Amino acid sequence: MPANRIVIVGAGVMGQGLAETIATTGTDVILLDRTIKVAKQGIDRIADSLNHAIARWAMTEADKKAILSRVSPSADLQIAKEASIVIESIPENLRLKRELFQKLDDLCPEETIFITNTATLSITELAAVTNRSDRIIGMHFLNPVPKIPVVEVVRGLKTSDDTYKKASEFADLLGKTPVLVYEYPGYVTTRIIVPLLNEAMHVLMEGVSTAEDIDTAMKLGYGFNVGPLALADMMGLDVVMSWMENLLAELSEHKYNPCPILRKMVRAGHLGVKTGQGFFKYDKDGNRLPGDYSQFDDYRVKK
Amino acid sequence: MNILVLNCGSSSIKYQFFDMDKEVALAKGMISRIGMTGAVLTHKPFDRKEVKVSGEILDHIVATSYVISILLSANHGVIKDKSEIHAVGHRVVHGGEQFTQSVLITDEVMSEIRNLIDLAPLHNPHNLRGIQACNKTLPNIPQVAVFDTAFHCMMPPTAYIYGIPHVLYKKYGIRRYGFHGTSHFYVSERAAELLGKPLNQLKMATCHLGNGASISAVNRGISIDTSMGFTPLEGLLMGTRSGDMDPAIILHIMGREELSLHEANTLMNKHSGMIGISGVSSDMREIIDAANAGHTNAKLALDIYCYRLKKYIGGYAMAMGGLDAIVFTAGIGENSPLVRELTCQGLDFIGVELDKEKNSTAIGKEMIISSDSSRIKVLAIPTNEELVIARDTKDIINGIIK
Repeated sequence: MPANRIVIVGAGVMGQGLAETIATTGTDVILLDRTIKVAKQGIDRIADSLNHAIARWAMTEADKKAILSRVSPSADLQIAKEASIVIESIPENLRLKRELFQKLDDLCPEETIFITNTATLSITELAAVTNRSDRIIGMHFLNPVPKIPVVEVVRGLKTSDDTYKKASEFADLLGKTPVLVYEYPGYVTTRIIVPLLNEAMHVLMEGVSTAEDIDTAMKLGYGFNVGPLALADMMGLDVVMSWMENLLAELSEHKYNPCPILRKMVRAGHLGVKTGQGFFKYDKDGNRLPGDYSQFDDYRVKK
Repeated sequence: MNILVLNCGSSSIKYQFFDMDKEVALAKGMISRIGMTGAVLTHKPFDRKEVKVSGEILDHIVATSYVISILLSANHGVIKDKSEIHAVGHRVVHGGEQFTQSVLITDEVMSEIRNLIDLAPLHNPHNLRGIQACNKTLPNIPQVAVFDTAFHCMMPPTAYIYGIPHVLYKKYGIRRYGFHGTSHFYVSERAAELLGKPLNQLKMATCHLGNGASISAVNRGISIDTSMGFTPLEGLLMGTRSGDMDPAIILHIMGREELSLHEANTLMNKHSGMIGISGVSSDMREIIDAANAGHTNAKLALDIYCYRLKKYIGGYAMAMGGLDAIVFTAGIGENSPLVRELTCQGLDFIGVELDKEKNSTAIGKEMIISSDSSRIKVLAIPTNEELVIARDTKDIINGIIK
């Protein structure tokens, strides 16, 4: 498949990560948002991310220049007409996504494939508003997209074999290993990780161990790159909580009840790396601050 | 016989079109930015001005058809009909242990080249794409593969086996392969001709100093050792590659800086070498300018570059039990009198006497640059890998090589 024209709708964190990953493979990509300004801001964030990669020796200034030259900003949805693949990465809102797919369906030639980057919504339901439910597929990339080498390829009820094959080839092009999953709440990755994070919070709350030691135990004991509490901080505690609530609502099992300290921290606005305070503290560049974790005594059940 | 020589990269194709009856290049050029916006074909017929053509060049198939069209074009072309292309010669980077010489491309050969992708993930896939493209655009025209590794295939195990568990050689083919073979072969042959001696009576150290750099010990026409190893990272200091170092260093850095495999790989391949040491440039001309302007680390990079080369020349003289000639080729080797001078400095004790005058005039041309009394001759020879590919292709088509 000559996947040579790719349009990403939505220049948020996931859209940026995708654009960076695609451009890094040598493919041109258009990053589209409501205004050119927002799209350009997305590209500025990509430049920041590439600078970070250079500091980690992962690429050179010349690589960065070449990658940025392949990403163009746009605010005109008409441009999707010329794409072979359109990727949707707008906010997780069913109504917004349905409206977008309806517009795209009217604009694009019938062979264009639509990929939705949703982690929560039903592909089948999104596809129903178009005349191409066989050519819509979910691809759930994990954040940060350039670094995580797996993608869940999510088949809706009507997604065709051919579309699945093309999505898998696209994953290969991006250097991601595709994992086939069927539409179901949380797919594989979210469904398994979120309750694990929640359980770590229970362990903390019950005073079994400190945040630092819980993470150390899981990192060294089971080969996690990042401990569960630090991972929750990275994902965003509000995101983790909304996921627990979503699984609870969809699957009605009490094991998906958010841990009380998770609720408490979200209410306090301690959302993790993005607010500088979660289970650990962070500076404004997101680097973890060393030192004393006694503040988390607050979250423990006093014996 | 007219032969098209192709060197296919991920997003570029370099080509030369030869009339092999006269051994002259009728045209040469390249296509860059394949699969991207702003793809360009640059084409230079031997007797006319260079032209640039831009177009939508989505893949290697479209790219090869552009090459064919321009060779046929009324204004810029050099032939009238497609049938005047008699064969295509491809540069293929890795021939593994299977390919010890150039071969006619068949389905079987293609699948073996494919099997070697593990050993050369950055090159073989694109070389293969070029071959597939020619299958489509030039059906029924014979194609030949010429391997960068082939010239080194006679190295003895003492030179190619590493000091690690032997099972890894059996399991993954971990051994020295060497690269730039076509260039080392060409310049060693030319050196023998310039010296007026048969190749099989000469012991030479051939130094290919380009973006990548390697040195070969060519004993009586056979490469018995070479500085690049399992990958083109080993050996000499290069523009952006570290060359030889203690492998424990990289493990240590990976631990200290928590680097991934990819990050460690680009650290050694793209951030090291002269750019890493100097912080100035990976380009030898800029390194020399900076060194002359008093930049300490640029001077250090230049000195390390020449020092390491000198150490290898000494080592190879020992390995061959003698040395008759040192040959410099490729970008830096052909064009930098200073690098040649620094490398040969202090070697009079084994019989190297550089003629400073000749050395300074040998820029991009074939010359003996040592003094007449020098026991070990020093030569500068522009390399011509494309011509070797065209010759091998011709010989295979004529049934001379089987």
